[in-house]
Amino acid sequence: MDFAWSDENDAFRTRVRDFLDRVLPSDWDATARHGPGSREQTEFSLSFCPQLAEAGLLVPHWPAEWGGADRPTWEHFILGEEMWAAGEPRGGQYMNVNWIGPVLMRYGSDAQKQRYLPPMAAGRAIWCQGFSEPGAGSDLASLRTRALRDGDDYVINGQKIWTSYAGLAETCFLLARTGEGRNGIAVFLVPMDTPGIEVRAIPSLIGHGDIHEVFFTDVRVPASCRLGDEGEGWTIISYALANERVGIPRYEMSSRELDAMVAQLKARDGFDNAVIRTRAAEAAAACDAARMLVYRVVDERARGEPPGTAANLARVAVVEADHKVTDFGMDFLPDCYSGTDHAAFQAHHERAIVTGIAAGAAEIQLNLVARRHLDLPKGA
Amino acid sequence: MRLAFNEDQATFSTVLGQMLGDEVEAGFHTVEGWGRYDYGHALDARLEEAGFFDAAREEDLGTVAAAAMVHDVARVPVVIECAASALLRPFLGDDLPRPLAVVVDDAPGAIRFLPQARALVSITPDAVRLARLDGQAEPVESLYAYPMGVAGQDLDWQPLDADPQTIRTLWQIALAAELGGVLDGGLASVLRYVREREQFGRPIGSFQGVQHRLATDAVWIDGARLLTLRAASTRDPAHAALALAHIQSHATRIGYDLHQFMGAMGLTLEHPLHRWTYRARALRAEMGGAPQAFLDYADTRWGKP
Ligand SMILES: Cc1cc2nc3c(=O)[nH]c(=O)nc-3n(C[C@H](O)[C@H](O)[C@H](O)COP(=O)(O)OP(=O)(O)OC[C@H]3O[C@@H](n4cnc5c(N)ncnc54)[C@H](O)[C@@H]3O)c2cc1C
Repeated sequence: MDFAWSDENDAFRTRVRDFLDRVLPSDWDATARHGPGSREQTEFSLSFCPQLAEAGLLVPHWPAEWGGADRPTWEHFILGEEMWAAGEPRGGQYMNVNWIGPVLMRYGSDAQKQRYLPPMAAGRAIWCQGFSEPGAGSDLASLRTRALRDGDDYVINGQKIWTSYAGLAETCFLLARTGEGRNGIAVFLVPMDTPGIEVRAIPSLIGHGDIHEVFFTDVRVPASCRLGDEGEGWTIISYALANERVGIPRYEMSSRELDAMVAQLKARDGFDNAVIRTRAAEAAAACDAARMLVYRVVDERARGEPPGTAANLARVAVVEADHKVTDFGMDFLPDCYSGTDHAAFQAHHERAIVTGIAAGAAEIQLNLVARRHLDLPKGA
Repeated sequence: MRLAFNEDQATFSTVLGQMLGDEVEAGFHTVEGWGRYDYGHALDARLEEAGFFDAAREEDLGTVAAAAMVHDVARVPVVIECAASALLRPFLGDDLPRPLAVVVDDAPGAIRFLPQARALVSITPDAVRLARLDGQAEPVESLYAYPMGVAGQDLDWQPLDADPQTIRTLWQIALAAELGGVLDGGLASVLRYVREREQFGRPIGSFQGVQHRLATDAVWIDGARLLTLRAASTRDPAHAALALAHIQSHATRIGYDLHQFMGAMGLTLEHPLHRWTYRARALRAEMGGAPQAFLDYADTRWGKP
C-alpha cells in the first residue's frame, strides 16, 4: 500500500493548478456562484475548455485517436479534483470528458464519433443528460418517454425533468422507450434544436438555470441518432455509470472550503473554542474517509478490476462529508450566507445540498450496500 | 497511490485469515464463571510462534501489515493482546516480553490486559517507560470484555529509548485498528443473525429500516479501516489522530445498532456479541476518546489555539 502521490502525479497536479491560476479571472468566484449549469458558467466554459484543450488538459485520459494522450486513470481523477475544487470551470462539459465521450467511443457509429467527439475534445460541446422523468426518478427503468419507429425516423414523445444544462445544450443524451421493460430502452443523441423540443427552467435552490423540464412533442429524428441497438440502452447506461462510478470528487471542494471557513473564523479570533475545533475536525474526518473510499474505487479501476460495491459505499460517505462541511459553515459563520462577500461558501452550500440526491439518492446507495455488499435479503 | 496490499502483505493477510478462521465459531459459548471475555490463549501462542507480532519490523510488511493484523485479529470473538505487541513492541527495543499493557498519560483506573501482561508500557508527553511485571497486577471485575487489572505503586520503571510522539502516534493507529476490527467483527455477527432470524414471515435483515442502519455502519467501518491503513502507511500524527477520532466518534452509534438488531439474544453471555461491543466501549474512550483525538487533529491541521 502506498498512500503518497508519485512525483509524476504531483507534477501533473501542479500543472493543472498553474493553469487554473493563470486562466481563471479575478472575479471567477462570482461567476462560479451561479452554479455549473448557469448561463454565466456555461458561457465561461466555452472560452475556458478550448484553452484547457490547447494545454492538453481537457481529455488527457482519452485515446490519442480522439485527441487524448492515453494518460492514466489517476491523472484523470486529479484533474477532476482540481476542477471541482475550483468551482468546475468546465461547467457541464465535465460530463463529456468523463463519460459521454467514452460511451460514444464504445457504442457510437463511425459517423457519430466523427460528428461528436472532435467538438468535445476541443471544448466546444454542451450536452445534457435526459434520464429522469416526473414518474421515473430513483426508479429510472420505469421511464415512459417513447420513441416510435416511423420508416427511417423515430418520433419521440414524453417529458424529462431535472435536466441540467438543458437550457444551453446542443445535444441531449436521451433515454427513451422503444419496447417494454428494461430491455425496451434505447439511447438517442438528439439535437436540442429539433422542432418539438421545449425547455423550461425550474427555479431552484441550487443556482441559476441549473435544472429544467424538457418536453418532447412529436420530435422527429433520423434513426442514425440512435446510439447502439434498440434495447441496448440499459447496458449503455450501466457502462456509462461504470465510467462514472464515483461521480464528482466533491470531498475535495468540501475539504478546501473547510480550510477557508477555519481561516475566516481565525481572522475573527473565533477558532479557539474546543467545540468549534472538534466540529471542524469531525467534518475533516468525514471528508478524508470519503476521499479514501473514493480512492479505493479509482485504484480498483486503475488496476482494471470490474466495478464492485466500493462505489456505493464511497457515495454515501461523500454525502456525509459535503453536509458536514456546509453545516459547519452555517452553524459557525451564519453571516457568510447573506450578501456577496463569501460567494465560495454559498456556492459550496448549493453544491453540497445536491449531493445526496442528484445521480442517485443516498438511500438508493444504502439499498445497494445492504443488498450487494452486506448480502442482506431482498425486501418484500 | 496504491491501495492494494503488496504481495508480501497479501500473503501475510491470507495466512493470518486461515489461522483466524478456526476462531470464528469458538465464541458461541458461555465462559467459565460467566466471564465477559474469552482469552484466546491458543491463538496467541500460534501467532507468536509464527512470528506474526514482528511483522512491523519487516520492510515488506511494515506497520501496514501490522495494523491490518490488529484489525483482523480483533474481528474474532476471542480476545488476545495484539495491538501493543504488533504496533508498539517492535519500536520499543529488542527482547521485550509480551503480552503488553499500555497506560497513556497516567490515566487512572484499571488497565486492559494487565492481568496477562508481562510488562506495562507508559506513554507520557516526555517519556516512554516500561515496567516488567511479576505478580504485581491484580485482576479487577469489569463491565468491559477485557482482562482488566490494576498494579501497585511499587513498579520498577525503566526509560525506553523511543520518541514519545512517535509511540503515541503508533498507539493511536493501534487503537483505531483494534476498534475498527471489533466493530467489524460485531457487524459480521449481526449480519449473520439478521439474514437468518425471521419475524413477520421474513428475515429481519430484509427490512429497510434495518438495512440502512447496518449499511451506514458498514460505510463508517470501511472508511475508518482505510484511514487507519493510511495512518499506518504514513505514520503521520495527523492521519493517526483522524483515523482514531473517526472510528471512536462512530463507535457509539454502531454499538447501539448492533445490540438493537440482535434483540434479547445479544444481551446473553452465550452469544459473543458483547465480546465485541464491550471491547468497543472500552476502546472508544481510550486516550480521551473522539473529542481529544479530534482536538489533536485540529491542532496539527490548523495550528494550536
Ligand atoms: C441538481 C440536480 C441535477 C440533476 N441533473 C439531472 C440530469 O442532468 N439529468 C437527469 O436525468 N436527472 C438529473 N437529476 C435527477 C436525479 O437523477 C434524481 O433527482 C434522482 O435520481 C432522484 O430521483 P427523484 O428526485 O425523482 O426522487 P424520488 O425517486 O422521488 O425519491 C425521493 C426520495 O425518496 C427516497 N427513495 C426513493 N426510492 C427509494 C427506495 N427504493 N428506497 C429508499 N428510499 C427511496 C430517497 O430518499 C429519494 O431521495 C438531477 C437532480 C438534481 C438534484
